[in-house]
Amino acid sequence: MSDWYLKEGKDNDVVLSTKACIVRNVKGYNFMPRLDDKECQSLLETIDKAIDKDTYMGGNAAQLDKETITRLTRLQILGREASQLVNPERKAFYYNDDVSLSITVGSGEHITVRAMAQGHDISVYKQAEKEAIELENKLDIAFSDNYGFLTSNVRLAGTGLKILYTVSLPAISKTEGGIAALTQRVGQYEWTIYPFAERGEIADSDVYIIASVNTQGVTEDEVLRRGEMLISDVIKAERACREEIASSKKEQSADIYGRSYGTLRYANIISRSEALQALGWLRLFHDYDESGEINLSWKTIDKLTMDILWEPGAPSRKASQSVASQKFRARGIRTILKGDE
Amino acid sequence: MRCERCGKELTNRIIKINGVTYCENCARLMGYDRFLRDPSDLLGNPFSPLDEIASSLMQMSELDFGNSTLTCPKCGMTLREFENEGRVGCIECYNTFNDNIIREMFKQQGNSEYAGRLPSQSADTEAKTAEVQVTRKPLPSKAGSDEAEQDNKQESKPEKKAEEPAKKEDSKSGLTLEQLMKADIGMLSDEDLEKGIKVAAEAEEYKLASRLRDELKGRKEGGSNV
Repeated sequence: MSDWYLKEGKDNDVVLSTKACIVRNVKGYNFMPRLDDKECQSLLETIDKAIDKDTYMGGNAAQLDKETITRLTRLQILGREASQLVNPERKAFYYNDDVSLSITVGSGEHITVRAMAQGHDISVYKQAEKEAIELENKLDIAFSDNYGFLTSNVRLAGTGLKILYTVSLPAISKTEGGIAALTQRVGQYEWTIYPFAERGEIADSDVYIIASVNTQGVTEDEVLRRGEMLISDVIKAERACREEIASSKKEQSADIYGRSYGTLRYANIISRSEALQALGWLRLFHDYDESGEINLSWKTIDKLTMDILWEPGAPSRKASQSVASQKFRARGIRTILKGDE
Repeated sequence: MRCERCGKELTNRIIKINGVTYCENCARLMGYDRFLRDPSDLLGNPFSPLDEIASSLMQMSELDFGNSTLTCPKCGMTLREFENEGRVGCIECYNTFNDNIIREMFKQQGNSEYAGRLPSQSADTEAKTAEVQVTRKPLPSKAGSDEAEQDNKQESKPEKKAEEPAKKEDSKSGLTLEQLMKADIGMLSDEDLEKGIKVAAEAEEYKLASRLRDELKGRKEGGSNV
């Protein structure tokens, strides 16, 4: 079965992925920061017994081999620096065939259920909810009538739900005041927007994450509805900006589009930020190219963008900027583009 | 390695007293301050009296004048630790730090009342992936038109044109009363505030209208608050 992000979702010219994360804790155990190693082992065993092994594979993080770690990083279960693998004996990762569903144990909260889909697809919530309910039926989950689901991080207490849209906004980013206006709009929905970057990194792309904030005072339904209204606005705004740039600066845009494709297709050495900038231009002008000389599908643009965004190793790291790693990246891009021609 | 008292991971300093490993905080709480002294004290540092005065002053700044020594009886987490880390240690902490947690939730989310689903029950939601009209279309061919003239026009006001779509989006949909009530007023534009005053007044939400009016007035008098 192909990995989740290789499928082609709705509105994937703008939305790279939709994710739903639900966190839960098990009654009778301290939360992670105050859980000693012995208790932690007991917690891991308790949760392991509750996980449906027909759906999920994986297990204790200490037993993950290098290949699996790389795969889980690329499939966005682990951060690029694999920081979740500190103290691996206290953590476990479970995932289904295409890794669209995963359950992380011991990373921040006892349980994090995650459902992911390529493009714009809010059905991920129902998938995550189904998995969460299964665990709620099998385990004694920490819940209070006043606060809802109890979590170590009090910002998550309540529904314990986060919805995240990863969006690529090259045109809004290139429009003066575009991101500021968008940030204001996102705030009106009580959501948040931040550039794609891991802790300590400098954002080096036009990719942003739009995430829900409230876990108290709102129902899950309200969160989803607001999210859908918001993401529709974002998609419309980005497409309008693309059309505006493509029509008002047609010649220049067509030129940069062609050059960007050339760079990606033929470069022997390419940095992460250069590749992401070039992909941003391909995304911006893709639907307006009249030359017909560049055959590139949205699926390929999305795959390349996500491959580079989630490539193991942060951009601040010297290793990912080394000639060898830039050469490796360029070769990977060339191979994919050659296959698409 | 972890502190044997609180279970916290040890990163900077490891203090071992009578065979028991403590973190700096627990060692201090247990009254083992003398073990926390800097090694320079033991080497006859001539400035050690000054260091002690400085450290006393620093400790004074951490003095508790309220109930920050409040400690969870189950996991040993103190109120100060919760305030610093934003995380609690166990379910009992929710009772111990109840007021502070409510305050924190209010600060972050403007609400502390649970409205979500119950365990093992499905949320009542029919939210579907919104249909966004596809506006992607190839540009009409401009062959035959005076390209040079067009290029000049494009060059003359590209930035203005690029700004328009975002503005259009703003003006297309007005703010609803519900959105206004939940909005962070400081984040609203002057235009939205003006519209909001009208919306709130029409709905007889005079408190909200006056808050919006005060915000707008404050901005006009003292510049932007954003």
